[in-house]
Amino acid sequence: MKMKNILLGLTFSVLAATSLASSGLAGQAAPDFALKSSTGENLRLSEYRGDVVMVNFWATWCGPCRQEMPLLDELYSRYERVGFSLLGVNIDDNSSKAMNMAAELGVSFPVLFDARKEVSKLYEVEAMPVTVLIDREGTIRYVHHGYKPGYEEKYLDQIRSLLRE
Amino acid sequence: MVIKRVLIGLAVCMTLALGATTIAQESAPADAEAASREKFRSLDEDVQDLKKEVLDLNRDLFLLEEELLFPANSQVAFFLSMDVGEYFELDSVNLKIDGKEVSNYLYTEREAGALVRGGVHRVHMANLKTGDHELIAVFTGKGPHTREYRRGATITFNKGIGAKYMELEITDRVKKQQPEFVIKEWE
Repeated sequence: MKMKNILLGLTFSVLAATSLASSGLAGQAAPDFALKSSTGENLRLSEYRGDVVMVNFWATWCGPCRQEMPLLDELYSRYERVGFSLLGVNIDDNSSKAMNMAAELGVSFPVLFDARKEVSKLYEVEAMPVTVLIDREGTIRYVHHGYKPGYEEKYLDQIRSLLRE
Repeated sequence: MVIKRVLIGLAVCMTLALGATTIAQESAPADAEAASREKFRSLDEDVQDLKKEVLDLNRDLFLLEEELLFPANSQVAFFLSMDVGEYFELDSVNLKIDGKEVSNYLYTEREAGALVRGGVHRVHMANLKTGDHELIAVFTGKGPHTREYRRGATITFNKGIGAKYMELEITDRVKKQQPEFVIKEWE
């Protein structure tokens, strides 16, 4: 009986891990969107076609986002010059909170505001943070739900391989 | 003498028969080549015909899809254009038809630039019943002296039979040094 429970538990863990690592969005054309950014400019995803784009959905109330954002900023500063763009999509209702947190963390990548949650719906955001990697052709290649220390290594490998394509 | 003549005749016949065989042997590959060339030509024609059929089918499908999604009788398209744009820097346009929001389009710097250079943007396409409808367009952006600017324009239009096209036009009113927002119906 105990063995059966362990096996069941293992099966569920594997299923959960698979659903977190893969997403129905991978392989599909990235849905286009335009949002207002912290600089006041409107930014549209399709205008980044030709670049490897990372879209990171985050919120001020999300602890792992706070951990992850400075690491993403490092990746952005390192690969921006070779065709890598990063768009941080904040889903808070209040954009001023998000601006304060971005300033506090010192992130240099564009922060966009999705207060109406339209873009989050398009990208089926059901966890926080969610990180989507889009290739130069505009196809979603990787989707990561949540953040755990060490994920940045995965991001690094994936960004490098997409930049090489 | 007669036998001699018969023998000569036979020899001539044999020579002619042999010659004919050689000719036949020589012309056989030429015929095969011509036949295969003919076969290729007809195959190529078949491919071309098939290609044409596919193209025709594709066009028909496209038209059918368009007719089904936006039947000409109920189709209404809304376009946005800008003339000069010195007194207004466009940020977004929000469209409401009969009180229901149908589009909220944010313009990037590049898109707004394209409009100033003479581009026309199809903001929205809808299916509407025949009869009167109210359109409310709210334009946001930066007005004179880079002040935040928000203006609305309303029109009640009649949707008759056939497709309808509406143009939201942003122009400069030089006298007042203000932008002007006009909604026009294309005839």
